[in-house]
Amino acid sequence: MGEFLDRKCYRVDSLWAECWVEGLDLEFRKAPRVMSVCLKTLAFALGFSLLGSPALAEDEIPELVAHYCFDCHDDATKKGGFNLEKLLEKGEFDGSLMFENLLTGKMPPAKKDQPDTKEKRAILDWLAKRKADNAPKSFRRISRHEFVHSVNDLLGTNLDLAARIPEDRGTNDFDSNRKIQLSREMLGSYFSVADEILDHAFPSKGFAAEKTWVTNKIKDSHHSYNIYHHPHEEGSLFSWTRANNGNSYSFFYDNFDPPVAGWYELTFDAMKVAEFEEDVSLQVYAGKYYYADDRPQPQHLIGVISLGNKELKSHPIRAFLKPGENVSVHCYSRHTFRKKAPKEGAYIKQLTARGPVVEQWPPASYKMVFGDLLVEAAPRESLEAQGFQTNLQKIGGTVTVSSFQMGMEKENMQDGSNRTFWHTRFQPTVAKPPHYVILENPQGAEIEGLSYATWSGGNGNGQVKGFAIHLSEDGKSWGDPIMKDGLEVRLANEQPILFPKKTTSRFIKFLVTDAVSLDGKSLASIGKLDVLTPLSDQLQTSTITVASPSPEDLRRVIRRFVERAFSSELSEDELAPYFRVGLRQLEEDGDFVEAAKIGLKAILCSPRFLMAPGEHANPSYAKAGDLARILWLSVPDDELLDLAAADNLTGDALRAQIHRMLGDERSHRMVRSFSDQWLNLRSLNKVTPSLKLYPEYDDLLNHYLPIETRTYLHHLIQENLPAGNLIDSDFSFLNQRLARHYGIEGVIGQEMRKVSFPPEVPRGGLLTMASVLKVTTDGFDTSPILRGAWISKNIVGTPLSPPPESVKAIEPDHGEATTLKEQIDQHKNNKTCYACHKSIDPYGFALESFDATGQWRGKYKVKQAHGGTFIYRQKGYYKWGGPVDASGEMGEDKFENIFGLKKLLLAGEHKVAYNFAKKYFEYAKGYKPNLEQRLHLWDFIARSPGNTQMKDLVTETIAYSLTTDEE
Amino acid sequence: MNHYSRREFLKFGAALPLALQSLDLRAATDPATKVPPKRIIFICNSLGFYKPSFFPTKRGDLSTSPYLKGMATREKMTVFQNLFHPGMETSNHDSEKSFLTGASSPEATNFVNTISLDQILAREMGGDTRFPFLSFSIYDRGWGCSWNNRGVAIPPIYDERQIFDRLFGEEDLTAKRRQIENDQHVVQCLYRDMAQLKQQGGDAAKIDSYRTVIAELEEQLKHEEFWLKTKKPEVPNTLNTDQEFAFSTKIGNLFKLSKLAFQTDSTRVITLSLDWIYGAIKVPGATGGWHTLSHHGGKADTLAKLSRIEVDIVKHLDQFLSELDEIEEGDGTLLDHTTVVIGSNFGDSSNHTCNNLPTIVAGGGYRHQAHEVLEKPTPLCNLYLELLHRHDIDAVKFGSGEKDLGLLKG
Repeated sequence: MGEFLDRKCYRVDSLWAECWVEGLDLEFRKAPRVMSVCLKTLAFALGFSLLGSPALAEDEIPELVAHYCFDCHDDATKKGGFNLEKLLEKGEFDGSLMFENLLTGKMPPAKKDQPDTKEKRAILDWLAKRKADNAPKSFRRISRHEFVHSVNDLLGTNLDLAARIPEDRGTNDFDSNRKIQLSREMLGSYFSVADEILDHAFPSKGFAAEKTWVTNKIKDSHHSYNIYHHPHEEGSLFSWTRANNGNSYSFFYDNFDPPVAGWYELTFDAMKVAEFEEDVSLQVYAGKYYYADDRPQPQHLIGVISLGNKELKSHPIRAFLKPGENVSVHCYSRHTFRKKAPKEGAYIKQLTARGPVVEQWPPASYKMVFGDLLVEAAPRESLEAQGFQTNLQKIGGTVTVSSFQMGMEKENMQDGSNRTFWHTRFQPTVAKPPHYVILENPQGAEIEGLSYATWSGGNGNGQVKGFAIHLSEDGKSWGDPIMKDGLEVRLANEQPILFPKKTTSRFIKFLVTDAVSLDGKSLASIGKLDVLTPLSDQLQTSTITVASPSPEDLRRVIRRFVERAFSSELSEDELAPYFRVGLRQLEEDGDFVEAAKIGLKAILCSPRFLMAPGEHANPSYAKAGDLARILWLSVPDDELLDLAAADNLTGDALRAQIHRMLGDERSHRMVRSFSDQWLNLRSLNKVTPSLKLYPEYDDLLNHYLPIETRTYLHHLIQENLPAGNLIDSDFSFLNQRLARHYGIEGVIGQEMRKVSFPPEVPRGGLLTMASVLKVTTDGFDTSPILRGAWISKNIVGTPLSPPPESVKAIEPDHGEATTLKEQIDQHKNNKTCYACHKSIDPYGFALESFDATGQWRGKYKVKQAHGGTFIYRQKGYYKWGGPVDASGEMGEDKFENIFGLKKLLLAGEHKVAYNFAKKYFEYAKGYKPNLEQRLHLWDFIARSPGNTQMKDLVTETIAYSLTTDEE
Repeated sequence: MNHYSRREFLKFGAALPLALQSLDLRAATDPATKVPPKRIIFICNSLGFYKPSFFPTKRGDLSTSPYLKGMATREKMTVFQNLFHPGMETSNHDSEKSFLTGASSPEATNFVNTISLDQILAREMGGDTRFPFLSFSIYDRGWGCSWNNRGVAIPPIYDERQIFDRLFGEEDLTAKRRQIENDQHVVQCLYRDMAQLKQQGGDAAKIDSYRTVIAELEEQLKHEEFWLKTKKPEVPNTLNTDQEFAFSTKIGNLFKLSKLAFQTDSTRVITLSLDWIYGAIKVPGATGGWHTLSHHGGKADTLAKLSRIEVDIVKHLDQFLSELDEIEEGDGTLLDHTTVVIGSNFGDSSNHTCNNLPTIVAGGGYRHQAHEVLEKPTPLCNLYLELLHRHDIDAVKFGSGEKDLGLLKG
């Protein structure tokens, strides 16, 4: 598939070109026009002096081509199978290979006679004018990310719902790709996501009251979890919760359930409890409580808190939570791994959750959509939910028990901890069976079952092995049991007991029929017992109404919105369909807001919004729309629209706008989107490195890998740094976790900051970032071929193409070879392979110094077997194997290691900049630049040879992309 | 636009789901005629199977295939040898796009796909069920086996919980009805908008392409509205949540959901794309990159690991077939009324070749021949054409198939 770098099925399209060099004597058939004094330098210089030369006459070109190319590519020699003479005779051929090689100075080879500036330009122009067959007319469509950001910006919301829309990239690199067409399934998801965001902005049922929860209860508070967390002062001390199978377990907070979907502020009052210098990290997750492998499992990471001192502080993070999702924490420190009673770690006194948070009241969405219409907002309710409550308590229920031992009262089953427990009386006399617990359900709530947990920390005497459930309406007559079952005494988590069917009975009896008895006595004891019931929270809401029954107001509201959404002005006729659909609703039920919502939804799902970005009668508005989409993945703001209205988006004004937009927060979306696509970082999480080989790899590191790359790229653009920084630099953006991964001392705390490297550090630049090094592997081994192909394609821009039909795929026989290098060197033995792989594999050789997680290595790791079930250990399961050989050669240039390769690549900085421009153009336009467009991009880079600056490059590429529209 | 026979459904279908709620090893049967409906599922194992372990070494004897010899439903299977897709001689992983379409040169720059087999079948067989078809994959990538009549990818669903909810999850019917009505108004509004755009000289091709999609959506809304009248079948959620072998869990769950969807007659056409080209996966006995391992180059240790993955897939397949075969339906079992096609776009993924595609047809009530070795390379689309005919679709040609293979007996 297109995005996939395959081991052997790509060919560098310079196959013919490479062969041209090989074994060629230096016989000049025709008099050289330029003497080859220092051909290399000359070729380099020539590459950059293409500007402003007067064109040669069209009919001179074929002769020029013949002169420079037919030495090898005439009908007789057809070096590399490339018979240019024949192709020219036929008249039709794709000139892009020839174009790229000529443009970047690869052809003619350095040893050969070189065209001068004027000639070269003439040939390139001539090639660029040769148009390929007219492809069917295509059009731009907005991507799912662009859709969600645009809708959020139009409504003043902030919902990340892109994942609800199917991946629209297909097999192509860029979301914008014009070949991707809308399908019914995609459109259907646009409809439902529009609904969801609109209902979040203007909830039909009103805004839920803001509630505050304070809790220090951990859902699984079992003694056997002492190595992960245990009571400490007023809360809990967490240590490194990484368990036997290597998973990062994450413990859930009890007593906080988000009643509605929305943003919640989660404040942890916490501190580091440790003597070591590093920070302790608290990873906060959200998700449904999910228990497997004998532990609760983490869900999705919503934030990281770095605890750096020994002073209790409040650390707030914001998260979007849905009903049914809970919050859990995982504490990371390599110093506190697996100690029986750890004294070090992160102390969390309590979690305070507040939400759903609405920034202003009435919310911004009303102002944005309804403008100056009278908005009537009831005051927003605010509630406190302090203290722990079981479900039983929430439904007003109570507990009675058959008997109890002093100090082990029934309340202990209802306090949220299974370290405390209820026990039947054993002193002074042992209570006689039956032992039972009766739960009273005074309001007749719908009970689905019970939740039982053993108690922990003792000998387990009295733990329930068997039980029966009886129901009663009066607490006296019980009848036959509705169920009988057994319980597992060893399980630490809560065990659900589901009734055969839901009940609203007033009394539920949990009768103990069998229990652990260490001394032959009849006893019973329970850590926690609660009811399972769907809590129909009487949600307190505040409603907002717009006090207008006027169709004219509705028309104004819809017009305002549609003009922002389409970034263009609409005639009454054009407005009519959207207005009418709203009006229909208004006439039907008189609800102004609901009427506006359906009009807005139609606008958001309309062909103009989904499929016409940039298509406008007025080209200035089109530019404003394009700029916003490219740089913010969104719709234009007022400043852009004003400039569009004034027809003032050209020249310096345009460039000033691009700079303004790059400086805006929203440009981070662009950097993220572009790097996800260009560098394929969105596939980063598809690979999980082997814990046997890379035991230190964890969620935290994984979280920060792409952040480094995004921060770095954003910085290069923002600071207008030279494009060479893509290859190498003496800095990057790191935090404590990344710095440790890279072996860099003295970076404390998890906030990202700029870190400078001494010269001996191989980092700096994209190639040696762990994100890139990881995404090019399968999580076990590194493949120089995969990585080499990745660099060729994404960084250097050597075009790769599938082998021509005549070449059969050949699988090298790896049977005999011993080392990886030897295996790959087999490519040399096969001319067909070697022609391509000589310009792919070497990049990968230099990166052999980095393992599949991007960590530096001098030797290879050799995986070792573990006996029986895999048990995670910090030292992993490997021994050190042979040394890494990171040397290689590119043409005649040899390099010893990554430092040498970076030098070589830096010498071709212009190619890297040119490739970046081509990729950025494709990102912006949805198609690859044609040859004429490539020439334009190259020309810009040629203005300051070897010193292209990133902000300038982005600015010029965008500015140019707005002026050209030919695929 | 569509030819769903709602009339027929009304005859017996509305009562059907009620009869099925108990899920007692009995699937759907038309109470009037006692004829169970036909179903079909296509499974694409995108990295193929290692040939020497897949094909029987002794012609006609499935017990000489290391992978297939243990399968419980061997009597109801036919392995086809020597089928291929013409026009994929130099293909790479793009060949997967053509698995069910047979469109040639999927790797070409200007490739446009054609309609996939399941979509043709869904047009004819899909109208009587809540879901005209279902398309599954193991991760979110926007395309799988199913392609619509314009050659546009139909994004498969990959989240088991989401699939389960769509099939069996409780719905707020009032809200859903309001939602559908709301959507229908929006659709009408957009039709008016398009008419206007066109009148004003907007890009006709663009408007038409949007109109086609919105018309399909309109049709879907009608279909959904119709099905509001029928309660979804009640099925307990027994999806596996084991994360140790997440890949294996996923495949097992997708098979289970396919079975339940057929059993409750929620759909009659399913595609399942088994594709994972990213990092390592863990199955019982091996951990490794499926794709990396598939380029085994004949190395014994690599093959040993690869076979663990392939064996795991075969194990799930075996379980799926056996379970279908345990469910009584009409005069046979659910398997007898379900054509199960297992194949791949790769004949040999180690070399990226697309000849001799491993292909099994199971169930469907055919008189199975265990192992059919075709004398010369034959287009897989000939088998597809035969499947169309066997499902009462009068087609002359499908993809590269111009001749009914004529090997499914009975």
